[in-house]
Amino acid sequence: MMPDNDHYVIIGNGPAGNHAAATLRQKDKDAKITIISDECIPYYYKPKLTDFIADKIVKEDLLVNPLDSYEIKNIRVRCGQAVDRIDPDSKTLFLQHMEKIKYSKLIIASGSNARVLPSMSSYADHLKFVTSYADVMEVKDEIQKAKDFFIFGGDLVGFKFLRMLSSMDNNVSILIYPDAFWPYHLTAGMMAQIIENLSKLNADIIVDDDILSIDEQNGSYRLTTQKGIEKTVDMVFSFNGLIPNIEFAKGSGIDIDHGILVDEYLKTNVSSIYACGSCAQIYNRTIKSYSTSIGWPNAVAQGEAAALNLLGDHKVIESVSKKYFDLEGVKIKTSWWEDIDKDSDA
Amino acid sequence: MKDINIVIEICGSAGEGTISAGEILSRFMSSQGFEIMSFDSYPAEIRGFGKCVAHTRISANPIYSPGKLSDVLIALNDKHSISQLFALKENGILIYDSQPARPHKEDESVVGWAKPGMISYGIPLNMLAHKAAGNARGMNMVALGALAALFHVDKLAFTDSIKARYSKKKQIVIDSNVNSFLEGYDWAKKNIKKIDHHSLKGISLGRAKEKLIINGNQLVAQAALDANLSFYAGYPITPATKIMEILSKELPKHGGTLLQTEDEISAIGAVIGAGFGGKRAMTATSGPGFALMTEFTGLSVMAEVPAVIINSQRGGPSTGIPTKTEQSDFNSAVSGGTGDCPRIVLAPTDTKSCYEATVLALYLAEKYQTLVVLLLDFFLSNSIRNIDIPQKPSAEMLDANIAPDKEDLKDYQRYKITETGISPRAVPGTKGGMFFSTGLEHDEYGRPNYDDANHLKMTQKRYKKFNTVLLEAPAPEISVKDKETFDIGVISWGSSAGAAHEAAMTAQKEGINASSFSTMMVSPFPEKDLIEFADKCKKILIPELNFSGQFANFVTHILKRPVERLNFITGRPMASEDILQKMREM
Repeated sequence: MMPDNDHYVIIGNGPAGNHAAATLRQKDKDAKITIISDECIPYYYKPKLTDFIADKIVKEDLLVNPLDSYEIKNIRVRCGQAVDRIDPDSKTLFLQHMEKIKYSKLIIASGSNARVLPSMSSYADHLKFVTSYADVMEVKDEIQKAKDFFIFGGDLVGFKFLRMLSSMDNNVSILIYPDAFWPYHLTAGMMAQIIENLSKLNADIIVDDDILSIDEQNGSYRLTTQKGIEKTVDMVFSFNGLIPNIEFAKGSGIDIDHGILVDEYLKTNVSSIYACGSCAQIYNRTIKSYSTSIGWPNAVAQGEAAALNLLGDHKVIESVSKKYFDLEGVKIKTSWWEDIDKDSDA
Repeated sequence: MKDINIVIEICGSAGEGTISAGEILSRFMSSQGFEIMSFDSYPAEIRGFGKCVAHTRISANPIYSPGKLSDVLIALNDKHSISQLFALKENGILIYDSQPARPHKEDESVVGWAKPGMISYGIPLNMLAHKAAGNARGMNMVALGALAALFHVDKLAFTDSIKARYSKKKQIVIDSNVNSFLEGYDWAKKNIKKIDHHSLKGISLGRAKEKLIINGNQLVAQAALDANLSFYAGYPITPATKIMEILSKELPKHGGTLLQTEDEISAIGAVIGAGFGGKRAMTATSGPGFALMTEFTGLSVMAEVPAVIINSQRGGPSTGIPTKTEQSDFNSAVSGGTGDCPRIVLAPTDTKSCYEATVLALYLAEKYQTLVVLLLDFFLSNSIRNIDIPQKPSAEMLDANIAPDKEDLKDYQRYKITETGISPRAVPGTKGGMFFSTGLEHDEYGRPNYDDANHLKMTQKRYKKFNTVLLEAPAPEISVKDKETFDIGVISWGSSAGAAHEAAMTAQKEGINASSFSTMMVSPFPEKDLIEFADKCKKILIPELNFSGQFANFVTHILKRPVERLNFITGRPMASEDILQKMREM
């Protein structure tokens, strides 16, 4: 009897997951490859979501690949299907809709979700996010109708969103947190530079303050800060960085800190399971600790490396050439543990 | 106002309330002022748990065809719904049970097979149904509740439609269905992050004036009653049985008689007998039954006895595919049987015209003393529309027999040669109106006569009657009339006409200069109108639901020019999208 082909399963449909799948297909023509994603949209450009909100582009422009490309590559994509738990002993994934899927080898590239500050958890129902396509679809029509906005935090997407709202002649207030770019912390110098650059926008910038309360009143929100500033707005947005989307991996025996812990080959402590992208904390020999690297190019590189290592290679992951984010004119390292300030391509 | 045009399919197993859910959805949308066209498909087997699909198109504008692909698939049963995903648009919405009673093995869940561009909403249908009513029966209502929440429709108005559907049931049944609906609605409202663009919020079409929500079979039965049908004989057969079911209850109330015979030969025999006796009589069958009736149809023509046969076509030949639609009895309806056997054949082009066609069939049979075949198909018989209440037939349509006058009765010739070919018809019991009636060739008195000159004369008489039939029929429908020439003309008949009409109008919007031609009167055919239309068209396309192009062959014979053909035998109704695609390629 012919043995069954390997079934490589990838949890996550972002750059890491998709490049892992493409690499696996390149190296193994016969394997069964499945991508599972809890998002109801195939691989898309998250950085373009603000343009989508502003109606500068349509949904199809968000998609990275043509819809038929997966069929052509014989990669099965299961969108809108969340993993509930993993059983490494039986190499089985349990999906939330009560379907079981067997895997030979597994790559976890499940990315991250919007972080809600612990201090804001009691107001979570009032907060809107722009982290995913689903978040955006929930608020897109409302944004078009609203006029007064309050943003607190201020990560990369948050500032982009601020610029978009400002360009649409809306009234925007932003309360900037230094640790909104979590897990990175903005220094006082960085903050000053950012504020200076943002001051050119038509926005009310608030710093060194915090939210005291948010009350819903007839469809509007009344915010009060600790320093007594009061604002009544139509919508409140939170941009306070991301946290790894790894709930499903808890209890499976996979080592987890705030992300999934992997060695420099992106391998977890559990046989046949790898992790990459922003959901992974990768061991770095330079700093002798685990770190998370974010950003599209890093995710792509890690996805490819995880796939190659899963197939038997020993590729050590390194940060890719683009090592900075431009946060309102301030450079933020994507892999801050490395001494990259002197790099020519920085 | 938004251009609302949505196709929703509900797929489940027989007994899961799939068809009921589709019916309630149609009823509700109609109550909100939308046009609806719905169509159910179900297994041929009476026993078992086969696949059922309730297909409903909803629009703010007139609807001509059911729509090929769906925008929403509600999966009540994973196994069956996997095989229905082919009909869901690439960006369609899948509503499925996220907490089924039993875990799925790998690849047994419908959401697992959804294509990457589809949007899937998992709703715990089974769990919520149990919560609402203590069992899984309300899954269909939970799903409708979720759909209502996703489409932002008025939940209380929707519950009115549920109550109306179950108004004859016990209160506990009404309550459990309403509660299941509300569970689904509230759950979806609270838990679903909507990422599709469909919404009926703020769409106000005003309360619809009183409309009938009805299918072709029901309209045929209603029309027959309104047209003074006195006698019906039949043998049950899908998809025509419903006509007999309705008439079995209603015809006696109207003073008529219904006879269930032992087979279709007896049925048509009884109908001809009743017609001979002066009663308006008809039968309804499908292809296999029509084949048996062919034994007797010649008698109706030869003896000039009124008879109406409704043939609701299904997949053939032989027993074929009983619950799938086809247009493959064109040849047998128009020219089946023995000898030179002229008959009238009508083919309604949509549900609404089933009423008009039935009234016309009974009228023409009586007036022209001949066989009239009314060609429906599975789709027309079963597709449900919301239509304005039809106007009752005029007095003229109810009494069409040309009876002999005193002069005629002095020397009564039942088959007298007249200018029109129609001879005065005496019914049994008419004083002085005795005559021979036979299937043998006969003279003007009805006496058997095999003389070649007589045979020619009487054959000419039987054909001559049809010279004026076309004047009695509605004019052919032409979608675009205000142009001198067309690049493409689509010629269609029966249930394909709506799709052809829609395709031609859409083509015009795309810049393809097209028009469409269809006619209810298939035999005799309005050849002059056809030629006039075809002469304006550079190319001709003929779409139909049979393999061999029966209608195309017929039309080619009239036009004497090549035509493009588009033939499907998928068992599904004609899709305007397929016709349009063919037009783009021409």
